[in-house]
Amino acid sequence: MARLYIDNDMARFTRKDITLVDMELYDGRKFENLEPRRLFPLSGLEKYITLLDEDGVERGIIRDMKTLPEKERATIEECLDEYYLIPKVTKITDCKEKYGVLRIWAQTNCGDVVIEIRNILHGIKLIYGTRVQLRDVNDNRYEISNINELDSRSRRLIDSFL
Amino acid sequence: MENLKQKPKKDDSCTDTKNKSGCSCKEHPEERTDQAFTVNKPFRGIQFAANRALSDTDILKLEKNIPEDETLLFTVSGDLSIKSRYSNTFLAVTDKHIYGFDDTFDGGVRVHSYDKVKRAAVKRYYGNAILIFSMDESDKEFIDLSKEHINFMRFSYKVASLYDAAAFFIQNIAAGKDLHEEMQIVEASFEKQFCICPQCGRNLIRPGAPCMNCQSKDKIVKKLIGYVTPYKTLLIFCMFLSVITTAVSLLPPYMTKLLVDDVLPAGDKGMLGVCVGVLLATYIIQYGVGAVRSYLLRVSGDKIVADLRNDVYKKAQLLTMRFYDRTSTGSVINRISGDTSNIQSFMLRITQEVVVQFFLLIGIIVIMFAMNWQLTLLSLIPVPFVVIGARIFGKKIAPFYRRIWRRWSAVTSILTDTIPGIRVIKAFTNEKKSFNTFKKYNDRWLKTDISASKITTLFPNIVGFVITCGSLIIWGIGGKLVIESPEFISAGLLVSFLSYTSMFYGPVNFFANLNDSYQSALNSAERILDIIDAEPEANFGKGKHPEKLEGRIEFRNINFSFDRSKKTLSNVNIVIEPGDIVGIVGTTGAGKSTLINLLMRYYDNYDGEILIDGMNIRDIDMEFYRSEIGYVQQEPMMFHDSIYNNIAYGSDNASVESIIGAAEVANAHEFIARLPDAYDTVLGERGTGLSGGERQRLSIARAVLKNPSILFFDEATASVDSETESLIQAAIERLIRGRTTIMIAHRLSTLRKANKIIVVDKGEIIEMGSPEELMALKGKYYKLIQIQTMSDQVRKSKEEERFD
Repeated sequence: MARLYIDNDMARFTRKDITLVDMELYDGRKFENLEPRRLFPLSGLEKYITLLDEDGVERGIIRDMKTLPEKERATIEECLDEYYLIPKVTKITDCKEKYGVLRIWAQTNCGDVVIEIRNILHGIKLIYGTRVQLRDVNDNRYEISNINELDSRSRRLIDSFL
Repeated sequence: MENLKQKPKKDDSCTDTKNKSGCSCKEHPEERTDQAFTVNKPFRGIQFAANRALSDTDILKLEKNIPEDETLLFTVSGDLSIKSRYSNTFLAVTDKHIYGFDDTFDGGVRVHSYDKVKRAAVKRYYGNAILIFSMDESDKEFIDLSKEHINFMRFSYKVASLYDAAAFFIQNIAAGKDLHEEMQIVEASFEKQFCICPQCGRNLIRPGAPCMNCQSKDKIVKKLIGYVTPYKTLLIFCMFLSVITTAVSLLPPYMTKLLVDDVLPAGDKGMLGVCVGVLLATYIIQYGVGAVRSYLLRVSGDKIVADLRNDVYKKAQLLTMRFYDRTSTGSVINRISGDTSNIQSFMLRITQEVVVQFFLLIGIIVIMFAMNWQLTLLSLIPVPFVVIGARIFGKKIAPFYRRIWRRWSAVTSILTDTIPGIRVIKAFTNEKKSFNTFKKYNDRWLKTDISASKITTLFPNIVGFVITCGSLIIWGIGGKLVIESPEFISAGLLVSFLSYTSMFYGPVNFFANLNDSYQSALNSAERILDIIDAEPEANFGKGKHPEKLEGRIEFRNINFSFDRSKKTLSNVNIVIEPGDIVGIVGTTGAGKSTLINLLMRYYDNYDGEILIDGMNIRDIDMEFYRSEIGYVQQEPMMFHDSIYNNIAYGSDNASVESIIGAAEVANAHEFIARLPDAYDTVLGERGTGLSGGERQRLSIARAVLKNPSILFFDEATASVDSETESLIQAAIERLIRGRTTIMIAHRLSTLRKANKIIVVDKGEIIEMGSPEELMALKGKYYKLIQIQTMSDQVRKSKEEERFD
């Protein structure tokens, strides 16, 4: 079966559960309980969103969220926000390394958190020069969207680990 | 339920709840050994399990919401509200209800009773997970989110394993299982949490025990000194030689003074000859002894670095698969090669140069003060600037060394990745792209190194400039004194003093720049100790050592995930009797190989127990345990060595005939004998020069030679043609006789000897029984057999077509 790529107003989405949507296509076909998931969670936050049913079977791919009508886009975004919890670090208040564990006291868009990274080489990755992905000892993810937008102290604290 | 109330655990009078949970309490040793997960005061006189001490406010919430007739069993403190905000939430489970405390709920609490729960599970999302209760009768295996359910609590991966245990408990209690038995499983999960050091994450010997790693890791340098100790006699001798060369080197400036002030003005030719002779002797001693010292230093340095490398490599062999899953080969190689050399040079500087330079510094200062204390004080003026500059420099340069290493590790990773894969690169004519990728990473290293060199080259030059300015002061003021009051300072004294001044700035410069190599070595030491101090695979040479394993294997409530984002095995319970031939089937990614990985003890961080002959495999000596297992993998690993040595790998004392016999059993002898160099044929890296089927037969020969009690085959015939498959299959059938055998196979035809089949799907055992039983069940196995029969027919007819 040919892969169904969804662009523009080809589909209508209705929120079903925190991470699920129902999809109705322009030709009348309906799919229930689809889970939107990013095919490129690091490199393409808004592009290539796959829609999986309960059995993990792909029912379609949203090629680019930007092309969807506002309402449909908001529905998918809400689901993705529930599924992907990647707090955005807005400020770093302190960094301490002891016993091979780096502790970062950070303010994020989800509240204050202490990020513990055991393997710095593995846990801190600079992506595309300005974006930093942090992965803690428990495999939770955090992100600094643009390192250049951090205040100077935060930048100085994290800089030596990049 | 009543029993729980009748048997309250020991009332704990300690008010310092924090101390009781961790390893820092010295006043309450008994609490550390006795269920450290009971971190809270008893609730209504009954102790309950918890992962964290609850605050007074939390206790008040419990008091307010839990009726008197309910018994609190355990709480799990989480970190996220249901709306994905960081928040202090907690789950409280009693014998009658489940309470979720989250300030974003209406009234701050949500209550659910067991009778409505049909299934409880943790659904993992990305960086967070949710405890879900399903109320639909038909939800037997997995929760169907399209049916009636409740998203009860949200949490990060930090507490996901405890929520897993809670979900399992809730579901089983709802199904009417025994509460005490289920609580034991929950308590085991809590206990495991307290068996991990909160500082470094290593396993502790018992819950709440002090961490040996953190206790001993007080000084990196102290550990490294351990490598110097065996060569202390040699190094002390070198130091003695250093003192001689240093002392001798102090003589020439004094001789200069003597020549300028006394010998030359007096025209004393005899004395001139003596002075020149003394200077000659001085230089002979200085350089002769210096050469011997350099040689001995080189020898001891090489020995130190060889010891360090041996230790790092030895430790690298014992590290867990978890370490290698997360650490690139390039960075490990980098540590064994580059970092050890870096430390070698630093340690020699510390043990030798520091001593030499120190003595030199003291000697010169003493002589300078003796010659003229005023000029000496003047020469000390630049010293504070150099010291302050060195401190600033140290802080600036440290991050650069870390960065340079990371960039260089990335370059090494590219090398270790692409050079062995050169065939693929050539096959896809990807040489240009491969070079560009390498260049990209190499350029990044270059850029960082250039940035660092701006600082590393600037600082010594600034120090040099400041020091030179110091000598200008001596020239200026000293010269003025020589002109104005020659009776106070003679020209010879000034020249000699200037010689000592330039010698004095040598050690100053050395100590100022020591920070540079110290920071670099400290970075290297951290990375080396990352390996040396990493948690090794447990029980090498320790643990139980039975005479032989019978081969009874039991999985009890096994839950496992490689990382916490996805659960790989859920609640696996299997019993395999000695001599059983067990086939594990399932789709790709179902968790089949993970079962073998756990049995091989590549990963020990699972929940539950795996027993062999009634013994927990974690308690058996690892060396003995693995020697009793034969493992034939899908892609057998061969080493760059002869076929003979490859078969004998792991069986050092095997006789020639036993190796030929093993090759015979494995259907490998014939093809080996046909090779020009037969058993002496040296294979290329990873066994290049042999076909996949030939490599596989060599790996079976290896297993035959090992004569194991238990055998694992992981897709042993997956990548070979039908004819080779039948050869391998025949070899396998000869090998497995009388041994407990576990075979993973996509081609179900290879399981025809199996008397038990286990069907794995999404990390759970969904069917288990004899092939006949499963066929009668008409479930997943039946479907797989049907699909495979059809595809086998198609394959066979295609092969026949091709043959025709």
